[in-house]
Amino acid sequence: MSEIALDIRAITKRYADHVAVDGLSLQVPKGTIYGLLGPNGAGKTTTIRITLDIIGPDEGSVAIFGMANTDRGAIDRVGYLPEERGLYRKMQVRRVLRFLAELKGIAAREADRRIDAWMDRLQLRTPEKDWSAAKVDELSRGMQQKVQFIGTLLHDPDLVILDEPFSGLDPINAQALKDVMVELRQRGKTIIFSTHLMDNAERLCDSVCIIARGRKILDGTVAGVRTEHGVQNIALGVSSGRDRVAALLQESGVVERMDDQNRFFELTLRRGADPQALLRSLVTAGVEVQRFELVQPSLHQIFLEKVGATGVEPGVTGNG
Amino acid sequence: MDKLLAVVKREYLERVRTKWFIISTVFGPVFLLAIMILPSLLTMRGMQSAGATNFRIIDATGAGLGPLVAAQIRERALNNPLRNIPGMTRRADSTRSVAEAQVVGVAPEAVAAAESTATLDVMASRIRGYLILDSATVASGKARYAGRNTSSLGEMEQVEGGLRAALLAQRLEAAGITGARADALAKVRADVSTERITSKGRGGSGIASLVFGFVIAFLLYMMIILYGQNILRGVLEEKTTRVAEVVISSISPETLLAGKVIGVGAVGLTQQLVWLAFACGFSAYGLAMAASLGAVSVTMPQVSVLQVVALLLYFLLGYTFYAALFAAVGAMCSSQEEATQAAQPVMMLLVATIILVQPILTAPTGTMATVMSILPFSSPIIMPMVMSGTQVPAWQLAASLASLAIAVYGSIWLSARIYRVGLLMTGKRPSLKELARWVRYS
Repeated sequence: MSEIALDIRAITKRYADHVAVDGLSLQVPKGTIYGLLGPNGAGKTTTIRITLDIIGPDEGSVAIFGMANTDRGAIDRVGYLPEERGLYRKMQVRRVLRFLAELKGIAAREADRRIDAWMDRLQLRTPEKDWSAAKVDELSRGMQQKVQFIGTLLHDPDLVILDEPFSGLDPINAQALKDVMVELRQRGKTIIFSTHLMDNAERLCDSVCIIARGRKILDGTVAGVRTEHGVQNIALGVSSGRDRVAALLQESGVVERMDDQNRFFELTLRRGADPQALLRSLVTAGVEVQRFELVQPSLHQIFLEKVGATGVEPGVTGNG
Repeated sequence: MDKLLAVVKREYLERVRTKWFIISTVFGPVFLLAIMILPSLLTMRGMQSAGATNFRIIDATGAGLGPLVAAQIRERALNNPLRNIPGMTRRADSTRSVAEAQVVGVAPEAVAAAESTATLDVMASRIRGYLILDSATVASGKARYAGRNTSSLGEMEQVEGGLRAALLAQRLEAAGITGARADALAKVRADVSTERITSKGRGGSGIASLVFGFVIAFLLYMMIILYGQNILRGVLEEKTTRVAEVVISSISPETLLAGKVIGVGAVGLTQQLVWLAFACGFSAYGLAMAASLGAVSVTMPQVSVLQVVALLLYFLLGYTFYAALFAAVGAMCSSQEEATQAAQPVMMLLVATIILVQPILTAPTGTMATVMSILPFSSPIIMPMVMSGTQVPAWQLAASLASLAIAVYGSIWLSARIYRVGLLMTGKRPSLKELARWVRYS
């Protein structure tokens, strides 16, 4: 059994007029990239803030690497990039970063070494220009985002939590961010990020959790979620016995929807149905199968189906 | 603890490094001095140049009062103590400044003619003004002066003083006292030097401790307003730039609040120390100057250790009380305009206090002084001031400190809660009802 990096146990947070998080539990295995998916106002940011002990839950508890999150030692191992980003505008970049490192217990000299390394890596310090001496104000938005990202990672956290990290990033910075995330995972770090962009999640995440209205809709590995929760579509092509196929499919009782497209059938299977059994029954019946393709649904489709069913609470946006 | 230190360090260094801080620290005292010194300097210049140069005495008394007045004024100008002030000797040395008034003796019925001639002379700047003496002057001391310099208090005082002395001399003579004796009698001066007595004995002059008390009250007021608002702006900046969320994901909001209050307070103390050094330097010069005048000897108020401790305690407690409130206001708002408005109630407490400084100074043992030195919102400013002027009963000091300590605790408790919730809130400023909920929830 792999070690658990983050263990959220039945947390609930109520506000005056709505419940932001409602009995949410999830476990993030160590060394994975974990996606927290949900529409705006689903409770992603609240969940993250509770995790970081920025706000306290009304019920439930959170453990980070087995320690309670109220333990400052636990929080020091976490790096956090909030959705709404900002730095002290009048401060020098290096001083801001040093300050952020000191808040995590890193001494100034060690911080300086790491700042240099990161500034080099993200092209904020080139032979022509060293931005670390500039004031935050003088940096472009994209550069400020990079600086903020460096601030998140300066203390080499074991658990990195990024709230909507891709929002507002240009494609180049987004790519740089992905590269760093993948590299961190290879070094055994755990990364949790929230997003409402499914294709990012699908490409990056090992596991995901979809939440809506503060409740968990589903979670698990991306592959597992797809097979377990996705509607299974099958593209079926036959070369002979075409007339019998429609009747056979009806009799099998596992086909929910059938779309006869003349040369192909597009089938939607009932939940839990076994596509292999269907294939076997077709073959036994003497149908010459030319094509039998299992079309895996995208996370996007699952998301739409699942969240669409619960609905997005109108008017509630919280902070993200 | 290290993290608290990191916050304190940031708050302190980022403020001390700004141009604004350097300019206000260095030029603050210069500016303050200018405000305090310039008017009196100008008055002194005015008195200095007075010397009654070029003015005419139209003497219609027929009793020889004119020359007597002129002589008295001349003597006053010569003995003007201000001549001894360094930097002022140049003008005092020149004979012009002690020039005699020209005396024109006329018959009572010719006064009108002499006056119109003099008026023309004043208009043509040949003389600065003229003084008319007539029989009424001899009888009741009433005289008229007209000229360009009537608004110069120094010059008018010299004319008036000269006339008074001349009249006195004349009356003494009429009473049969003449010569040196009359002179001696006419020259009598009265000076009341005040001294303060406390239960510990005598110490310091009353005036000096009054000024001292006022300066302290005003300084405390300024520091609290200046640095309280500084905190407000700091909190607001952290909130609007969203840096607050990153910071409180590493440390508790209470640590951030404490670090901010301590850091900004240290900036205030630094500034005060610099100013204190300036003040010591200046008052040494000022005392030397006063001594060289041979004027009323000014004894510096004797400040006891208890007073210094009390002063520091009141500054620290008072600053913390208001700083916490300002921080809470900053956390409630999301723009500078909103914050200015929301800070009004806190500002009102301070302004109400400073308005009452003057009446309390005149009656430092009165009921108002007692009440205001115990109420926690005004005591940090009023009590040190009252203490410098009078002996404050021990029970009053204890009650004042106790109520302030309780209020400080309360304001920290309250604002820490508002701060914790408000720091992450955006949008509309909360109503009182919502605020109450914030306080309950956190």
